[in-house]
Amino acid sequence: MTEVTTLPDWTAIAPALALLGTAFVLLLADMIDPDDSNGTALTGISVTGGLVALGFALWYLLAGTGQPGASQEPTEGAIELFGDALVVDGMSLFFSVIITSVVVLVALASHEYLREHPYQAEYYSLVLLASTGMVMVTAANSFVTAFISIELVSLPSYALVASLKTNEGSVEGGLKYFLIGALSSAIFAYGIALVYVATGSLQFGAVEIAIADGVGFDSLLGLGMLMILGGIAFKIAAVPFHFWAPDAYEGAPAPISAFISSASKAAGFVLGFRVFVDVFGTATGVFDWVDAFLILSIVTMTIANFTALKQDNVKRILAYSSVAHAGYILIALAAFTGSVEGEISILGAGMAHLFVYGFMNTGAFLFIALAEYWDVGRTVEDYHGLGNRAPFACAAMTVFLFSLAGLPIGGGFFSKFYLLFATVTGGQELLGAALIINSVVSLFYYTRIVRAIWIEEPGEDLEPGEYPTGLYAAIAVAALATILLIPAFGFVIEYAEIAARMIGG
Amino acid sequence: MAVEPGWYLLLSAAVFCIGLFGVLVRRNALVFLMSIELMINAANINLVAFALVYGNITGQTFVLFLIALAAAEVAVGIGIILALNRNFESIDVTDAVTMRW
Amino acid sequence: MSDWIAIGALAVVAVVIPLSMMFISWLIRPSVPEQGKRATYESGEVPTGSSRQVKFNIQYYMVALLFVIFDIETAFIVPWTVIFDGAVEEVGFAQAFAPMAVFIGLLVVGLAWAWRNGAVEWVRSARAERQRVE
Repeated sequence: MTEVTTLPDWTAIAPALALLGTAFVLLLADMIDPDDSNGTALTGISVTGGLVALGFALWYLLAGTGQPGASQEPTEGAIELFGDALVVDGMSLFFSVIITSVVVLVALASHEYLREHPYQAEYYSLVLLASTGMVMVTAANSFVTAFISIELVSLPSYALVASLKTNEGSVEGGLKYFLIGALSSAIFAYGIALVYVATGSLQFGAVEIAIADGVGFDSLLGLGMLMILGGIAFKIAAVPFHFWAPDAYEGAPAPISAFISSASKAAGFVLGFRVFVDVFGTATGVFDWVDAFLILSIVTMTIANFTALKQDNVKRILAYSSVAHAGYILIALAAFTGSVEGEISILGAGMAHLFVYGFMNTGAFLFIALAEYWDVGRTVEDYHGLGNRAPFACAAMTVFLFSLAGLPIGGGFFSKFYLLFATVTGGQELLGAALIINSVVSLFYYTRIVRAIWIEEPGEDLEPGEYPTGLYAAIAVAALATILLIPAFGFVIEYAEIAARMIGG
Repeated sequence: MAVEPGWYLLLSAAVFCIGLFGVLVRRNALVFLMSIELMINAANINLVAFALVYGNITGQTFVLFLIALAAAEVAVGIGIILALNRNFESIDVTDAVTMRW
Repeated sequence: MSDWIAIGALAVVAVVIPLSMMFISWLIRPSVPEQGKRATYESGEVPTGSSRQVKFNIQYYMVALLFVIFDIETAFIVPWTVIFDGAVEEVGFAQAFAPMAVFIGLLVVGLAWAWRNGAVEWVRSARAERQRVE
């Protein structure tokens, strides 16, 4: 093994602990003077906390913590904590890196966006608590910890979406997010209860063994799996559980839209990968979840892309694009074959796409945050001629949008290509065709925004306002990461496949 | 055992369906919250009953967490409903429809 | 099974007796519809307003929330106390005590924050102040 194993085992969840600690430091900092919050200090604390967590996650990932050593089988080496309730392995660290990167970007970008917000400490504290939950989701190894972590993600997210308390859109978005979220978490809880009824256990490994041994209540297990699928489909905003997504993203403060659409989706997917591939991998005879994901995937990408074509509000276009991307990544579950090698390449491609998506989607929503900061307006027409005024930010936005579409200007090209490649080698041509057609459709609405920014003449003179440093820095970092992921993609896919091997093998 | 486990399943399914019915039919946000509570309690019935059947306490432990989470969810939910009432002057969930499609 | 028959019989009796009493009184009573019978009984006062418009001060919400937190906390403390002695023997005092100390510590930070932000201060309404003066 490696030198990191000399640390005590519990330090493996240091990323989550760092985020949690930062959330409480923020509350303590707010207690010094509750009426007058110092925005710069709060942003500084949050970004530092996020960077510490990111540092831990990256260090562990690169040092090989929780990954198979040279002498071990590729599926061994995971660190199990608290009686197997949590597991730190390659996949949880890989996703922790995605989530903490998004947290750092969002915290940095919120600085100027929140300049008149009365509850800044609470805002940052909720963001960090939600990201603690997300990092815990990646490490959940039991339905108990999975459910608690998912709720720890959801509850602060509801509050964050509705955090502009006097803005009707924000409250409405928060309400819809909350209503659908509460419903789906109740269904998720009932599904877990049914799995417990069928198997007598809630720990992932034990459930897996019980299913392999055969259970008495096949129909209950199948129903439980269907309900768990519903709960996960809500978190990743897949059709038909996506109705909250456009409204919540549109109403929420733009950095929060970025946070929920990137990090929260990654957390939902990591749970989906672990629960379905690892735990229910042998239960396809009870309930054919592969076919369910196949339908879900194709329907999600098609409906989302065609609805996005009809939108005029840029934030809503991006919201539907985010739903469509959930469909693309669902391919990783829909093309599950049971054969180890094909599975690893497809799962790895899905994870790598989530990695790239984390940067490009966050960046795109942060550009919207910039536009909202300038009070530009929300529709595509309002964006006309922005390119003359803020060429750098608009160039970054172009990179994000074309990378989301899958053009070879950002890492999105390679991750989509790997997904496509894996569907073809896995014999899932239908999924591959759906992916190509939908990417072409999506190019229309992405190009529409780019055209509005660069080519169209501005309707009225735009006031060149001040240039917010934090937002610009966050957008620049996201753009840089998106572009750098082209040469670094081999590196990402390598770690993604290590992660995939740990659950798929 | 005095009662067959199947009856517990039936009871919890009935409670779950009552909750689901309330969610789908009622428009008052507070009634919605109560219906969600019913659905979570249906899961609790299953977990407690089958913790007894299997003779392990995993299910009962999870019930404690579910109760706490349900309380937290209601606390956040009522906060959002308060904000809803201030912005839309009602707590009818079908009133907040400024955004569509 | 014989136990259940007795309970079932009791249940049948419990339903049949009130129903039959209501039915008999319906048969023999005179029908005199009157406004006063349908009014809400408020100890002889003439009722004012609707019973659905009772409004509570919003500050009760804050108090209720703080109550719920410590109410739920009990649900976690009780099982912990039940197994505490055994846990001390097995893993030692520190390991048995520390998790609960951390848990309550986090709650205390939250309470302190809420206190500092004025959640437990009862804001006096201007109207209540006026009424006291009069």
